[in-house]
Formats: sequence, structure tokens, C-alpha cells
Amino acid sequence: MSDETPVAVRLTGIGKRFPGVIANDDVNLTVHPGTVHAVVGENGAGKSTLMKILYGVQAPDSGTIEVEGNQVSFSSPADAIDVGIGMVFQHFQLADNFTVLENIVLGAEKLHGTGERARRRIRELASAYGFAINPDALVEHLGVGARQRVEILKVLYRGARIIILDEPTAVLVPQEVDELFDNLRELKAEGLTVIFISHKLDEVLKVADEITVIRRGTTVDTVVPADVTARDLATLMVGSELPSPATEVSTVTDQVLLEVSGVGLVDPHGGRDLLTDIRFTIHRGEVLGIAGVEGNGQSELVEVIMGIRHSPAGTIRLAGREISDESTTRRRETGIGYIPEDRHRHGLLLDSPLWENRILGHQTRPPCSRRGFIDRAGARADTERIVTSYDVRTPGIDTHARALSGGNQQKLIVGREMSGDPVLLIAAHPTRGVDVGAQAAIWDHIKTARRKGLAVLLISADLDELIGLSDRIAVMLRGALVGEVDPRTVTPTQLGSAMTGAEVPA
Amino acid sequence: MSTPTHEVPRDETVTRSRFSWGWLLIGIAGVILALGALRTVTGADDVASAGTMGAAVRAAMPIALAGLGGLWAERAGVVNIGLEGMMILGTFGAGFAGYQWGPWAALAFAVFMGTVGGLIHAIATVGFGVDHIVSGVAVNIIGLGAAQYLAALTFTGKPGGGPTQSPPVERMPTFDIPGLSWAGRELAQTDLVFLTDAGAVLAGLTTRVSLLTVIGLACIVGTWLLLWHTSFGLRVRACGENPQSAETLGVNVYLYKYSAVLASGAMAGLGGAFLVDDASVYRDGQTGGRGYIGLAAMIFGNWRPGGLVAGAGLFGYTDALRLRRGGESVHALLLLIGVGLIALAVWWLWKRKVAQAGVTAAFGVGLVVLHLATDSVPSDFTGMTPFIATLLVLGLASQRLRMPKADGQRYRRGEAG
Repeated sequence: MSDETPVAVRLTGIGKRFPGVIANDDVNLTVHPGTVHAVVGENGAGKSTLMKILYGVQAPDSGTIEVEGNQVSFSSPADAIDVGIGMVFQHFQLADNFTVLENIVLGAEKLHGTGERARRRIRELASAYGFAINPDALVEHLGVGARQRVEILKVLYRGARIIILDEPTAVLVPQEVDELFDNLRELKAEGLTVIFISHKLDEVLKVADEITVIRRGTTVDTVVPADVTARDLATLMVGSELPSPATEVSTVTDQVLLEVSGVGLVDPHGGRDLLTDIRFTIHRGEVLGIAGVEGNGQSELVEVIMGIRHSPAGTIRLAGREISDESTTRRRETGIGYIPEDRHRHGLLLDSPLWENRILGHQTRPPCSRRGFIDRAGARADTERIVTSYDVRTPGIDTHARALSGGNQQKLIVGREMSGDPVLLIAAHPTRGVDVGAQAAIWDHIKTARRKGLAVLLISADLDELIGLSDRIAVMLRGALVGEVDPRTVTPTQLGSAMTGAEVPA
Repeated sequence: MSTPTHEVPRDETVTRSRFSWGWLLIGIAGVILALGALRTVTGADDVASAGTMGAAVRAAMPIALAGLGGLWAERAGVVNIGLEGMMILGTFGAGFAGYQWGPWAALAFAVFMGTVGGLIHAIATVGFGVDHIVSGVAVNIIGLGAAQYLAALTFTGKPGGGPTQSPPVERMPTFDIPGLSWAGRELAQTDLVFLTDAGAVLAGLTTRVSLLTVIGLACIVGTWLLLWHTSFGLRVRACGENPQSAETLGVNVYLYKYSAVLASGAMAGLGGAFLVDDASVYRDGQTGGRGYIGLAAMIFGNWRPGGLVAGAGLFGYTDALRLRRGGESVHALLLLIGVGLIALAVWWLWKRKVAQAGVTAAFGVGLVVLHLATDSVPSDFTGMTPFIATLLVLGLASQRLRMPKADGQRYRRGEAG
């Protein structure tokens, strides 16, 4: 990385303010061509905003952007695409009801048309990079890994030389991550530049040539992986040590709290059964982890236990009492806390203030309700409590949920679901898209509650989290529980292959 | 890269229903056969007469065009409940220009007025992010009020005109399609099973065809080509499915949404021109809810042009039927619907959907009994036929519809990612 090589991207003094928030302040970033450059930082540190600025989605308030030696300014992503920048967003930007082909050619119809030539070009690209993709498949039928490859194809199709990947590994299982990294190395070998956003430090150390750390909206340092450890990076990122999900001692009791037996679910659209004959128990003080590639029935299982969907067969017993026919509200009142997998769609009203969000799911119980009416004062006071004791960083409880970073939104949800002394917590991806600091805090809360006798059903794509927190792990495949592994002995790689239907390790 | 064995195996084949001429022909033949049988059984000649078919086309076109307007807007992600208002503006435009400068001016002016309605809706929903329903209702009120006010202002005192009616408007020329029209009429004269009815339908569709109908059909085919076979259409539809994704690919979402909503207004306005042409006069309240029925036809058609045409045809047919010896014809239709519902119930029973089968069978038997117990449907009820058909069809058919994913959602630039 000598100074003579022309620079692929140079950001100087970038600043961006949103009402009440400084997202970026004096960010400086230099990316050399033909390298994988990682940008790491906590959630809410301003990584995504910075990348949106580089891709022209948002305009910076100050600072300059240089691409391959020329100063540029973008008014829309079209300008960024023109100078050879492509971006794969954290939340995939795909139209589900379109084919792969339509998604890829959209906006770039001039290159190869929208018909046979485009199809051929996509096949060429796909085989050149080893992607198994059918251009005429509907995107809604694709799994997460395939969708990501469609996103990367979109970028390659436009002839991008600089590719931004925003948290690309958040949704992948370890094998898929390895494949992605292989892909990235191929891209690099072709002379492309990759900017890789992440907060998973071990991955960054594995794949990056250079690492820039962002903290609270500003660049802290740029380092080479050979010189640092994950611990050093964590210190740079948050000023504290890398947290670990591992629990110390077992607190499992012999009292059965949740007993699910023979639960099934038919696909209303006539496909394969969503759930088949699910049976398991969770004891007080026990964390049962469910491992599985997403889309194998985990969401449906959670929804059946919550009463959002109804299983035609089987029973669900909570502390000995059958709840199979009770409403969701009633189930929550009897002590089920629920951290939903998608906090934006199921956990929060983004355009409502925090204290109203505190009421959701607790609208029939004190402190949010009194004699059948909403108790505003009670709800507000309790929201203050959550904000303080769960360290939700917010200007106030009248702030809209949308204005909070992902980690803080999640801490609010955890605080809400932990109030009212639940006996069972259903946690679906409790730390997805959450930074190291918030992750440690959420893990601590789950561990504390477990010690007090809380039973937890944990669903997570983060295998370290699953192995660290769980007392037992059940593997789910195609709507059925296919085996159980011992978290004390299993490695993430073994677990990953068990999830894909390979032999379940003993 | 290793083979992606860990993917959940799913059917990745293309699941889009492929349009097939064979099935279309079988469907049309089936409909004709059913109507012919009904005619024979009940003796209600007008259920399959050439006159009814011609009237059905004239009644269906405004609905189809309103539906087409809905299709344009909703494919771009804007719910357009304001079609009725845009159509009303179109009828005024056609009346105003039509009585002074003839049918072509009527057409142009109706399209222009409809587009103005579309522009209001576009500015409110796309520009300012107003809720689409609120804006649409406002457009309906503005359209009605503006048309009434302007009509009173411009038509009062003109020969044959008044505050609620324009002077007579010259109609678009009509023509017979050579050969087909003659063959159809000849066939209809014969007394053969199926062929008689097929002839009547053919004669109805090819005799005294208005140029306006041809233009309307061209709009339908053009919309299909434009939205599904050009990059412009791909972008418009992307705005309706996932505008953020389109934005991240450098598509100017505002531009395409504006274009689509303006086109939507133009189509609705053209639908208004149809109504004026058919009545050869602008009349207050002429649209009679056809904007809404067009929207229903589009939903019935699953946001696709082909389905939309089928929906509009159905409503047009029921609308025409009430005018052609309504009591007798609608009475006969009850039998057909009743038998159809019973057949549907049997099919559902076979599919083990007992609840749906039960409800459907109950309605079916009820209609058949009603048919047998009475001789005619009172004229108070025949007028409701198209609306009841709308309700029934939407209630029974809208089980597995798929609207554009971002339909009705507010879009702001810069929120992608």
C-alpha cells in the first residue's frame, strides 16, 4: 500500500447530521484498489450512513468524495453507479415478485436490454463467479444466500469496480459466510475493490486487507489485520473488552415449564408442511436453543407458541396448564415474553414514541393499564425505568422509535418483554443487527433472568450466541426437530452442517 | 465455490401463469355454451343475443378503461380511489369539447381533463406523501364539484343544454367488421346448438363497432406491452413492488410514479369520453360509480390486464343484461349463477374446504330456488345487478390475489437501505 498507487476511494472530512443526531463527523477513509477494506464499528456508529453517502443515497453535509483520483459529488445512486460504485445493502433491495433477471436489469436496461441478451450476460457472470442462479426464478422463492448472490450479481452486471457490502454476513450461516469470502477473494483477484462493513471482528480479521474503525460517527484508526487482535479492535470500537455469550453454571431445574407436544402446521398455500410433530420441553432456568437455517419453521414455531398461528394438532402447556386455545394476549398475560425476529415489523411502532411502544403487548396489565384504561402516567414512568436500567440511549421517552439505532430499539424491546416478570421468554434473534455493547447487555439480561428461573426459547442465526447461551440445542430442519446437540461440546462448524441436514453430531 | 447444498430445496421454476390462446378459446367457448344452454332452458333470448353482446362491450369499455387507470397507478404503487373523480372530469371534458368541435376533440379534452385529475392525485400522493385514500377521495369530491360547476357555467342556455346536461355531442363513427359481422348474423339466424349463440356473440362484437372501442382496445394492449415488455414498464412496476430497491439502482422513482399516475388519469378520462359518446350527451352523474367498479375489475383481475378485461367484461355484461328485458334476463341469470355456485361448492368439497363449500352451496341452492319460485326479477333489483355482481365476484374470487407489494405506501427519497 505505497502512496504511489492511485487510490480507489478517498473520503475526506465527511459530515452528516439528522435532526437530533450526528451520524458522521469528520470521517476520513482511504481505500486502495484491489483490496478488501473493512469498516467496523458499533451499530449506530455511522457506518451505514457513510456508505449511503458514498453510494449517493444521501448527500453529505460537508466533506469531499474522491473516486479513482477524481473528485465527485453524487445526487443519486445513478451517479455513483456511473463512476463504478455498487452497493449490496444490509436489508436486501429486491422486489420479491420479480424474477432474478428483472431485479438485475432494473435501472440498467440500456446495457443488455431486458431479454435474451441480458439473460445470457447474467448466466455468463454467474458461471464466471460460480453462482448457481436461475435468471428466471422468482426472488421470493430464493433463500437468503441466493438473494445475496443476486444482489452481488446486480452490482457486477453494472460493471462496478468498487463494491460496498453492508453487513453481508449478518444473515448467513458459517458455510455461506465462507462461500461469500471465497467470492470476495475472487472479486479481489479480478482487481475489484471491496468495502466490507461489519461488526463481527473475527470475520473482518479473516477477510480484510485493511480495517478502518468508526466510533460515534468518526474514524478512529486504520489498521492492518496482522497487527491487531479481535480484542484490540473491540477496544478501538467501544473502548471495552469483547463480550462473550457463555453462561457460567447451569441453572436448569427439574420443573417443566413449557411442554410442546405433537404440534404441526400445514402450509395454507399447499406446500410442504411448515411444522411436523414438534415436541420438546423447557424447564425453569433452562435455555433451549433452536438451530436451523432460516425458513425451516422457526418463525412458525414461535408463532404457534405465541398463539399468532394455530396448530390443528398437539398441545402446548405452560407450567402444567394447557394454553393451546388461548389468545395471544392471554398467553402474554400468563407470563410469556416475546422478542420478535423482526423488530421493525413485529416489535415496534416505528412512528410512535417510546412510551407508547412500552404499552404494546402489555395493554391489559399494570403499569400500562388501570381499570381497563391505558395508564399514561404509569406507562411513561415505567418507560423511564426501562430506559435507565437497560441503558437505552435516547433523547427522551417521547422520541419516536425510528430515531433510535437498532441496538437501542432492541434494548427497549428486551426491557419491555422482561417487565411483568415473565416465566418464559421467547427470544428470536435477540441480538441480530445489534452492536457489541448492546449485545453484551442483552446477553447479561437473559443470563440474569435465567438465574432467577426464567425459561428461554432461543432462536438465533448467530451460532456462537446459540452455543454460548443455550443449555440444550435442538436442530430444526424442514419444519421438524431432527436432533439435539450438546452446546458444551459442539463447534459452530459442526452445528452449521447439522443445520443443513448432514449428520447430527453426537 | 462449493455447491450450495445447504439451500433449503425449493421449487425454483418459474411459477408465473403463462398466457395461452388455447385456454382462452376454451374459456370463451365454455361461456358461450353455458349462455346458450341457459337460453334454451329458460327461453330468455336476451342472455346471449347480439344486441346484448354489443351493449355489453359498450358498457364494459368505460369500466375496463377505469380499471386500466387503476392498473397504471397501482402498478406504480399509488392506490387510486380517485378514478371516479377523474372519470367525471373526463365526461365533462368530452361534453364541453364534443358539442363544439366534434368527437375527436371530445376524446382529446376528456383525456386532458382526466390527466388533470391524475396530476392532482400525483402531486398530493407522490409529491407531498398524502395518504392515497384521503387524496383519492378528495379527487372524487373535487372532480364531481368541478364538473358540476363548469357544466352549469358552460352549458346553461346553450341549445339542448342545461346546468346538468350538455348540448348533444356527435358520436364517433362506427363500422362493421367486414365478413365477420355478416357471418355472425347469418349464424345467429340458424337454429343450431352453440353455433347460433356463437354467431350472436360474434355479430354483437363485430357489428357497429365504435372507433372509440378500437382506441380503448389499443390502450389495453398498449398498456400490456408497455408495462410488461419495456424497460419503462419494468421501472414503473419496480416502483410498485419495491421503490427503495429501484432507487438504489438509480431509478428516479418520483418520475415514474408521476408518469404512471398521469397515465392513470388519462385512462380514466378516456373512460369518461366513452360514457359521453355512448349517450351522445354529457349528463350529471353519468359515471354512476363506474370508476369504483373499474377498480374492482382490476382487483378481480389480480392487477393484470387480461384479468382486468375479464372482470370488466363480466360487469359490462351484467350491466347490459339489465337493460335488455332486465326482469326476464336477470331472472335467467340467477339460474346460471346458482348452478355455477353449486358446481364451485362441489369442487371445494373435493378440495376438502368444507366451510367454503357449505357457504357457496347455500348461496347456490338459494339462487336456484329463487329462480324457480319467481317468474321475473323486479326492475328495482335488476338495476343493482352490476353492483351485486361486483360484490359477489370480489367476495368469491379475491382469495389468492397479489397486489403490488409497495402499493399505497408512502415513498421518500433517501430512505433506502
